[in-house]
Amino acid sequence: MRTSVLSVDTTQLLKGVLDLAVLAVLKDEDGYGYDILRRLREAGLTEVGDASVYGTLRRLFAAGLLTTYVVPSESGPHRKYYSLNAAGRDQLTRSGKTWRSFATTMDALLDDRGMAA
Amino acid sequence: MTVTGQEITDYVDRVRAALADLPPRVRDELTEELPEHLAEVAAEGEGALVDRLGTPEAYAAELRAAAGAGEGRRPARFHRLAEAWEQAAVQVRLLDRQLGPVLGHVTVSDFLRPLRPAWWLLRGWLAALLISVLVDGDRPGLLPRPNNNASAGLLLLVGAVAVSLWWGRRSAGITGWQRQLHQIVTAALLLFSFAVLAQVDERAGSDVYSGYEQTSVDRRYDRIEDVFVYDQQGRLIRDARLFDQNGVPIRLGWPSCMDGSGVVPEMRNTYPYCPERAPFGPPAPPSTAPPVSTPTDSPTPTASTPTAPTISASPAPTSTP
Repeated sequence: MRTSVLSVDTTQLLKGVLDLAVLAVLKDEDGYGYDILRRLREAGLTEVGDASVYGTLRRLFAAGLLTTYVVPSESGPHRKYYSLNAAGRDQLTRSGKTWRSFATTMDALLDDRGMAA
Repeated sequence: MTVTGQEITDYVDRVRAALADLPPRVRDELTEELPEHLAEVAAEGEGALVDRLGTPEAYAAELRAAAGAGEGRRPARFHRLAEAWEQAAVQVRLLDRQLGPVLGHVTVSDFLRPLRPAWWLLRGWLAALLISVLVDGDRPGLLPRPNNNASAGLLLLVGAVAVSLWWGRRSAGITGWQRQLHQIVTAALLLFSFAVLAQVDERAGSDVYSGYEQTSVDRRYDRIEDVFVYDQQGRLIRDARLFDQNGVPIRLGWPSCMDGSGVVPEMRNTYPYCPERAPFGPPAPPSTAPPVSTPTDSPTPTASTPTAPTISASPAPTSTP
């Protein structure tokens, strides 16, 4: 449902919520850049740009919400894994609540005017 | 079309060039995962990277915006310089890859990397030489000798090499001003090493053999110690000089006797070295020789003039030196 809303102007909307989306896909499992990008796309954010995800990861890391570690790979270069730290989890909780209340408000607004999901 | 490693490297280079205005550390952080990411993208399907990801410049702009990196703080007048520098760096990386196969490696860097410890040793030695020269103001030799003290030089050498090795193992991750200082010191040492090479080469060229005279010799005459020249009358000629057809002095034998002052004379190109050892020495006094066969006058060393001295010593050619 939310996905269909985003598709209206996904690129613009994404800018506001990409941080939250990245934090969310890292909630249960650490991941490296390409891995995170794939999770976002599998979740339906098909229009997310590669560079946007890497840039966001770098910014979240610089803000102290993520930690990184390097895992040697049998095939190819070593991979840099990102993981949520305590501050990242706090941020995810707070942003998640903000988004939910915002989305609920928007849903209600549209529902009231008889617009189908 | 399959994406090649070359295409990936070029894409990375162009992204980095587009981010050239950012501080190096930020740019490195932003692009460190890019090669691996591009390899993943390349592996997942067909089509050129530019078709799938957009131009490297657009990618860089998106990366910059998402990371909140903004514009670099570099002053505008340095922009052109930075761009030129970046272009040069791209060219160097290109050469690095192109010349690699010549050395049997993917890149020239791959070839040079295992040689770094050798450079660290050399760098320590050069630093010791440089310190020695700075202390003394003397011309550099091959060993550091501060104040002409060889043992202090050895200490200095060992210390400098140890510091250089330590620094070499540590310097891989340095950034910022330390990195710049490192590069400046390296450049200075390389300049200095060239000066040392020039000095040493100059001295090597001025060794004791550089002024030798050309002479004409032949191994067949190795056993000849001295040369005695007699004139037509059988008189020993002193300080005779021998030359070949080219006017080159002929050197034979060697001085083996002492002169009047008890010193073996120096090698020279006049013969004989030892006139007193002449095989047909000074003419015998008339009293000891049978007067019958020995004419006392000079023109008499028999008729067969040149071969006269070969007959025997006693009827010696009556020569007076």
